[in-house]
Amino acid sequence: MTTRSLVTVSAGMSNPSSTRLLADRLTAATERALADRGEDVRTRTVELRDVAHDVMNAMTTAVPTGDLRGILDDLASADGVIAVTPVFNASYSGLFKSFFDVVDPEALDGKPVLVGATGGSPRHSLVLEHALRPLFSHTRSIVAPTGVYAASEDWGAGEAGGRELTERIERAAGQLAAFVAEHESRTRDPYDEPTPFADLMSGLGA
Amino acid sequence: MQFGIFSVSDVTTDPTTGRTPTEAERIKAMVTIALKAEEVGLDVFATGEHHNPPFVASSPTTMLGYVAARTTDLILSTSTTLITTNDPVKIAEDFAMLQHLADGRVDLMMGRGNTGPVYPWFGQDIRQGIPLALENYNLLHRLWREDVVDWEGRFRTPLQGFTSTPRPLDGVPPFVWHGSIRSPEIAEQAAYYGDGFFHNNIFWPATHTKKLISLYRRRFEHYGHGKGDQAIVGLGGQVFMRRNSQDAVKEFRPYFDNAPVYGGGPSLEEFTRETPLTVGSPQQVIDRTLGFRDSFGHYQRQLFLMDHAGLPLKTVLEQLDILGEEVVPVLRKEFAAGRPAHVPDAPTHSSLLAARGQGAEGTKELS
Repeated sequence: MTTRSLVTVSAGMSNPSSTRLLADRLTAATERALADRGEDVRTRTVELRDVAHDVMNAMTTAVPTGDLRGILDDLASADGVIAVTPVFNASYSGLFKSFFDVVDPEALDGKPVLVGATGGSPRHSLVLEHALRPLFSHTRSIVAPTGVYAASEDWGAGEAGGRELTERIERAAGQLAAFVAEHESRTRDPYDEPTPFADLMSGLGA
Repeated sequence: MQFGIFSVSDVTTDPTTGRTPTEAERIKAMVTIALKAEEVGLDVFATGEHHNPPFVASSPTTMLGYVAARTTDLILSTSTTLITTNDPVKIAEDFAMLQHLADGRVDLMMGRGNTGPVYPWFGQDIRQGIPLALENYNLLHRLWREDVVDWEGRFRTPLQGFTSTPRPLDGVPPFVWHGSIRSPEIAEQAAYYGDGFFHNNIFWPATHTKKLISLYRRRFEHYGHGKGDQAIVGLGGQVFMRRNSQDAVKEFRPYFDNAPVYGGGPSLEEFTRETPLTVGSPQQVIDRTLGFRDSFGHYQRQLFLMDHAGLPLKTVLEQLDILGEEVVPVLRKEFAAGRPAHVPDAPTHSSLLAARGQGAEGTKELS
């Protein structure tokens, strides 16, 4: 049984937040789906609010202070990422974007990502498609086909409301688990195995 | 072990007075600081190279040539010389000229530069930064070692039958350091040539810096220049000192809080905890600097950033007095203690000349 690592990033502002609620449900469902596949899993859930000042420090000086450095390291070595944001002004929150702006661009390359978002009304559900998915396409990540949006009404029984959300969570988690189980962590650390000088000079005048 | 200072040449408003020095004042202040470095017994003065305001150091060999004429022992260096956007032919010529004028008291540090528009201003593409650094330095290396060069590459017009003049003093090219804060390619390059490797050690924790330096040491040995612990390592650092550490913190805080590079970011306390910045007593600076050896192994050159963020000249000169009188003498003694005999000093013109006499690499004088 291999141990897979998941990092869940929640950009909820209040405590408790519906964003964290969704993040926790996506995490638990993914853990179950991985267990069904015979994979052991270790999860770290990050509340961005806790490192909001550190994110700004990294943004202004490139020095990731406090716990942020460890979070960035864990993210870089993770087999999968669950990224959940509240919808602010028709997009991801500024803190959510700022966090991913200080992540090393290489760190998410080829990494499975499950996107989630929460909002007060269902009218912003396409934020998953017009904001989150392009962000993680840019980082060359593998975004699970199903993203999960939860509006306030989804947390109640509503007209099949609760059940529908649960089904989407299960479907998305199953897709992420499949990618995570196949994920090959980066094999080459350029500091351990540098490109030899002769290869660096290939095609250059010498 | 060499000790010195490096300047980024910023013209910054003093936040405590609101006064901004003129370019003329800043340039002359840099010269005064360089002369002071020699007076207080430091070994090296290095200037940066920038091609945009608020920096004044666009023409390093002009400044270093002037400093050379007014000093006798100080080694003149750069931090860094832009190997990407300068023509390597002009670097070869300028620094060989400086080497003659300074009687060999010259080395230089290659860097890529991270100001995006400088590349297009000089007709280059920042995305080609690493290949530019590799190809241009390869040409520079040849120009100082081969009297007549035929060359063709990707980034510069070809050369046929070209001789870079003046030839290096005594046929010994200036020693070269390669500066990088995160690129394994540059550590590999420094190791391949057996050149020095410098990490500015300002914005990074020891764990990161150590990865690059370990890589450089390992590859230096791989390419047959000696054991890994004989590789030539330089480190930066930044300090602000007063006899009482509380006074240092109180005086430096407004400069830190308003500096273009830190302002609005981490607190002074966070930054000193997470990076090599030390604001405190001379003893704290001594302890922190000795810690670099524990992290990175015995090394050859320590440069401090002293004249930045709008600190007035008078304050910088006081800092240099403290550095020269109270810090460096202790560091020299402590670094010498326990330093294995096989760990070399940083190469100088005279040591390279002597080594050539013993059959090491050198070049023929132009006959």
